[in-house]
Amino acid sequence: MPKAAAYKSNSIVYFKGDNNDKVFLLKSGKVSMKYNDIETGQEMYDLIQTGEFFGVKSALGKYPREETAVVLQDANMIVFTVPEFEQVVLNNTRIIMKMLKVFSNQLRRIHKQVQDVLSTDEQSDNSEAGLFGVGEYYLKSKRYAQALYAFRRYLTYYPSGAFAQQALLNIGAAERFVKSGGGQQAAAGASAAAPAPRQSEEEMSGAAQRFYNGVSLFSQQKYNDALAEFKAIITEGQDAEYVAKSLFEVGRCLYAVGELDKCIGHYTTMIQRYPKHPDIVEALFYVGSCYEKKGDAGKAMGFYKKILSMAPEDAPVSRKARKAIGALEGK
Amino acid sequence: MALDLSMLNRFAVTFQKNDIMFCEHEPGDTCYLIQTGRIQIVKIMGDIEKIIDILYPGEILGEMAILEEAPRSATAIALDKVTALEFNRENFDVLMQGNPQIAFKLLKLFTKRIYDQKRRFMILTLDDVQARVADVFLMLAETQTNADPNKDERTFNTTIDDIAHWAGMTTDNCRQVLNHFASQRRIEIYPDKIVVKNINDFARFVSSKRKSKVE
Repeated sequence: MPKAAAYKSNSIVYFKGDNNDKVFLLKSGKVSMKYNDIETGQEMYDLIQTGEFFGVKSALGKYPREETAVVLQDANMIVFTVPEFEQVVLNNTRIIMKMLKVFSNQLRRIHKQVQDVLSTDEQSDNSEAGLFGVGEYYLKSKRYAQALYAFRRYLTYYPSGAFAQQALLNIGAAERFVKSGGGQQAAAGASAAAPAPRQSEEEMSGAAQRFYNGVSLFSQQKYNDALAEFKAIITEGQDAEYVAKSLFEVGRCLYAVGELDKCIGHYTTMIQRYPKHPDIVEALFYVGSCYEKKGDAGKAMGFYKKILSMAPEDAPVSRKARKAIGALEGK
Repeated sequence: MALDLSMLNRFAVTFQKNDIMFCEHEPGDTCYLIQTGRIQIVKIMGDIEKIIDILYPGEILGEMAILEEAPRSATAIALDKVTALEFNRENFDVLMQGNPQIAFKLLKLFTKRIYDQKRRFMILTLDDVQARVADVFLMLAETQTNADPNKDERTFNTTIDDIAHWAGMTTDNCRQVLNHFASQRRIEIYPDKIVVKNINDFARFVSSKRKSKVE
């Protein structure tokens, strides 16, 4: 059974360094935690709120107390053994969730401190540069599959970011290495990439290069140049993978330059010819958006609803479709 | 702790060996409960890929992104073919509410991770490179629960790369420090292990350096 305990002012509940497996719940009075900041060694104080548990981490983790708990004002508390504490919180998941958030935050802070000591550059504060940096590291270490993952993610989140062009170039380079069997993780890289038809290396890297050049132009908002590049890849027809990818991109270019009817026509043909195209749901979204822009809310709605019936509920495109439907209904 | 997770099989996902499950700095809203295979957690720090942890079946990863809605703090790479249960923010809460044991296990895991990270950070606060390397051995010694506490000599099956990672230095610099220790006969370096002749000597050395820093 958890025990009630009363502590006089100026007494100590436990000392830093003690091995003690009890968890305390402060009912009344004042308790302060005295500890040294791990970075500066400076003495720090934290006041425990009434109704708050303390001593949880070292008790659960079975390590020595990291702080000294000093009673500042006569205090009443309840003392739990770890199994008793476990019983209480298992019946109250909300407490666990709250503590998880606090601990998670502490963990992230200490990660950050470690990072700050190890790297003096400013990347740690910036997710965009950080993600790109991860890709750069793996590219340099010749771990192309990992590099490709990081750069592709970069482009997903920051399609017109500061490093977008370099990321595209790096993807091209990494893909060439993966396809020529270079790098430590060539096998994994090939399985991660979309299956490509067997053709000579020269042709593949050519189409890939042109494709990424097109994507780069698109991200620079040079839509007509991008359109020309993608159309050329389709006309050449050298690499089925990039022809398919380019078909989708042509539609995006048409949409971007406001050629709504052409965009609808293009995607309709693409969907008829390639009913299993990987970007088909995205294409439907563009068609829906075209109709919306043309003022045909009914047709737009039809396409958005079709997306919801095709894509998983939590896919980004479903979210976009739901949002678009909400906006149309609100009008 | 036996948990019946069979009803959660609809959340199962598979990763091939060397696949990145998620990448540092990436926004993320999924976490994973490992069922089979091992996962390496790494962070890129400058020119060093620092191995933070290796996770085994039964362990959870990616939960920080869910709890705090912040970008991934580290990269997860599959060391084997990995099967895992994947949860997003909505069904993570459902999982926790419905399985308080898992939530409690996670709480315990966090206490351990926070302690380990703080311990690692203590190494990095040392300015003296020799003290850093010595402190890595002390940290490793603290986790050797089966070692005889009365014996001064300790054996570590650790590579120079790993020690360099913990100490936050390049492998070359770390090798120099280790060679220096070896020339002083404080350690012996073998291809598969490193023997520290007197761990208490290292403890005194590190504590003297730590004091001089606080002053």
